[in-house]
Amino acid sequence: MSVAIDPEPDDSYELQSPTRKGTWQKYYRVLRVSIAERMTYRADFLLGTFLRMLPMVTTILLWQAIYKGSGQEVLAGFKYREMIAYLLLVHISRMFSSMPGLAAGISREIREGTLKKYLIQPLDLLGYLISYRTAHKITYILMAALPYGIIFYICRHYFDGLPSAPICLAYVLSLLLSFLIGFYFEAAVGMVGFWFLEVTSILYIVITLNYFISGQMLPLDLLPPFWAGLLKVMPFQYMAYFPAVVFLGKVQGSELLWGLGLEAFWAIFFAWLARFLYRRGLRHYGAYGG
Amino acid sequence: MQDHSVPIDINSANPVQNKTRYFRLLARLGTFTLIRELSFRGNFLVKVIVEVLWLAILLAFYETVFARTSVVASWSKQDYMFFVGCFFALNGVIETLFLENCNEFSNLVRTGDLDFLLLKPIDEQFLITCRRVDWSVSPNIIMGFCIMGVSLWNKGWEFDALRVAMFGITFTCGVAIAYSFMLVLTSCSVWLVRNQSLMEMWWLFSSLARYPREIYQRGWAQSLDIVFTYILPILLVVNVPSRVMMKAMQPEMIAFILVATVVSLSLSRWFFLKALRSYRSASS
Amino acid sequence: MPPIIEVDHISKNYSVFRKKEGFKGALQSLFKREYNTVEAVKDISFSIEPGEFVAFLGPNGAGKTTTLKMLSGLIFPSVGTAKVLGYTPWERQDQFRRQFSLVMGQKNQLWWDLPASDSFELHREIYNIPNQQFRQTLGQLTELLGVKDLTRQAVRELSLGERMKMELIAALLHRPRLLLLDEPTIGLDVVAQVTIQKCLREYHERNKVTVLLTSHYMRDVEALCRRVIVIAHGKLIYDGELSGIRDKFGQEKLLKIEFQADQPPPDLSQYGQVGTIEGPTVELRVERPKVAEVLSNILARHTIADVSVQDPPLEQLIARVFEEGGPST
Repeated sequence: MSVAIDPEPDDSYELQSPTRKGTWQKYYRVLRVSIAERMTYRADFLLGTFLRMLPMVTTILLWQAIYKGSGQEVLAGFKYREMIAYLLLVHISRMFSSMPGLAAGISREIREGTLKKYLIQPLDLLGYLISYRTAHKITYILMAALPYGIIFYICRHYFDGLPSAPICLAYVLSLLLSFLIGFYFEAAVGMVGFWFLEVTSILYIVITLNYFISGQMLPLDLLPPFWAGLLKVMPFQYMAYFPAVVFLGKVQGSELLWGLGLEAFWAIFFAWLARFLYRRGLRHYGAYGG
Repeated sequence: MQDHSVPIDINSANPVQNKTRYFRLLARLGTFTLIRELSFRGNFLVKVIVEVLWLAILLAFYETVFARTSVVASWSKQDYMFFVGCFFALNGVIETLFLENCNEFSNLVRTGDLDFLLLKPIDEQFLITCRRVDWSVSPNIIMGFCIMGVSLWNKGWEFDALRVAMFGITFTCGVAIAYSFMLVLTSCSVWLVRNQSLMEMWWLFSSLARYPREIYQRGWAQSLDIVFTYILPILLVVNVPSRVMMKAMQPEMIAFILVATVVSLSLSRWFFLKALRSYRSASS
Repeated sequence: MPPIIEVDHISKNYSVFRKKEGFKGALQSLFKREYNTVEAVKDISFSIEPGEFVAFLGPNGAGKTTTLKMLSGLIFPSVGTAKVLGYTPWERQDQFRRQFSLVMGQKNQLWWDLPASDSFELHREIYNIPNQQFRQTLGQLTELLGVKDLTRQAVRELSLGERMKMELIAALLHRPRLLLLDEPTIGLDVVAQVTIQKCLREYHERNKVTVLLTSHYMRDVEALCRRVIVIAHGKLIYDGELSGIRDKFGQEKLLKIEFQADQPPPDLSQYGQVGTIEGPTVELRVERPKVAEVLSNILARHTIADVSVQDPPLEQLIARVFEEGGPST
């Protein structure tokens, strides 16, 4: 078992006011400024990285003890090595799919009325946020590449090397889709703030629940068949479980295609939902005056 | 109106009253925070729901695990569940009394509001770490004790006054040691540019205390066991009280946790005061 | 009696992290950081006697707050010594901390969601104020400030002015001998400002407490203080009577001339600096020695309905003083 907190520090974003330029240049600028901002906090980063390793270590040791206690080689289709590999890979999934502060930030802008600037400026809220997020993700993944590289190197004996090229491709695809699902899911939750002021409270509950049902604590296969089946059609598994089992080669062939298809469906669904709620919300906002 | 320029003669105040001042302050702070929390009932309720949910997830996790094995690191299911309850209760105490205050510390540093607290003629550590009581996590303490009770019941435990007394003592020591570690982490925010939330740091760090010591007993993990038992004694926090109740009592560990408590409390206080000094010389 | 505050050649330097611009800069500062030394306070000395009400003036960033923080013991000076109430402030003995108060206009010390009276109760415990004395002082203060009915109301529901009054009560409950006020009227409307001034003056007169006040509003200063200490860019540039500022820095007079004609003559700028023009009335700033000459010249050439010679407003004068204390001198 690991942490209930996403692997990235929670940062409530602050908005630089963007200039009127070409669309791409505009979003590129947002991206660059955000990267610069992120780099300034080195000491935090070092201490944070050290602390973030602790739960990984204890998780490995706990599962070691569980396998040893059970006296079995395989639990629910996972060998001990695969189990550890899975729990490490879940971190990679979360690196892409976690969106700390996104929904809370949106709902705060709605509540405090600062949302108006998107209506005045030629800038789309979701477009702005996704470029900002992408910047954060790129910086974070770049910064985390070294420590995670070291961890995976140390833990290399839990893995059977890199999977085949098609699987790798599917893995990358599943991660990118999990970023989109994560982003649009949280954005959609944030949009609820148009109607319901206390979004943060729903959010806490969702985050806590998500921790278990996305498979961050253990592979969903360990659960009783009914629950495992149910959770595997839900969107949450794509934020942690699915990319990890793709990498481990547990899902292959038509099952893999089916899984990716469902993932794409959920990504599109949440993208649509977020836009839909945003448009509806704006109308509501306009009618009642924020 | 009479002449106010004469300061209050401190000696005229009752010396006993002076000593119990901290307890009375704590009681008053507790009452005020409770009144405040109750005026935001919705918030309070959500926090409690999240905690209950979290406990449910924890129990679901261990139910799943113990469906596949009967023993983890030489702890049977009942013993292990007691351990989980003990951790939950102990962490509940820490979170109720100190976590929010410590979390607030980096804000106080950043906004400069810390200055005001330093002006007050009262112990800085007390004022900073005990200012507010976070009642919304206090049900965790009760939930933790319920889980401990249920596992004792399931185990068919027989009442043993000595064990209960020892549990009380070692549990308190555990709280004190955990508090010391939190105080050290808190103090770090004086030097860090933007402290990541202490909540998160605490969560990560306390993951060491979350499992039985026995999981560290093989290979390279043994060095972790030594470091985090004897040098940074975070492993003692839940392990010692749980063992006292569920397993054979180890007098040497009980003695050790007492020593460790005194040492951690004094070292962390020293570090905290050093951090405050550094804050004062850095601020403008 | 010995002075309440004795400041002896104190200076305060501190280093600030110089943030570099842009992406490259941020990358660089990840590995190597550069610091700039800022001299916030340079070699300041003064002393304040018991019962004085002193204004501490200076432009933003002049070192006022830094000095107040040193006097209250929050920070150490880099060089120099100070005695406040007979203590070295940065040793921060409990006894010392019991005898003064710091009020900052833009900061809130009271519990936001609770009635002020609850914060007062906490204050009583923290300062260990005997119960009877507490009741008495609280009664007197709420009466003086006219907020008897408001102490049971949550602080966040109070107006800015009422909140400031509550802050003042909290600061005075333990009957401090020294009161440090940092911008106590900032953001308040004129009515509230005047009430606060009135209360401070009355409290000071009755209790002979020593007060050091910083404020941007010259009205506060004029209403309350006889003595003024001016610092600019970290240096002390004036210490003396408020009226003395005019003698030292006020080399100009303000001539208010009402001409008989509908329009003032256009060539007035040869006599001095032309200020506001309202119909036939003109404000003209003239150096003091030239006043007589200018007046007789104007009288010789134009018909004048009315004339008055005034000192320019203190506000303008102080602004000039700040500029003169600048880095150029």
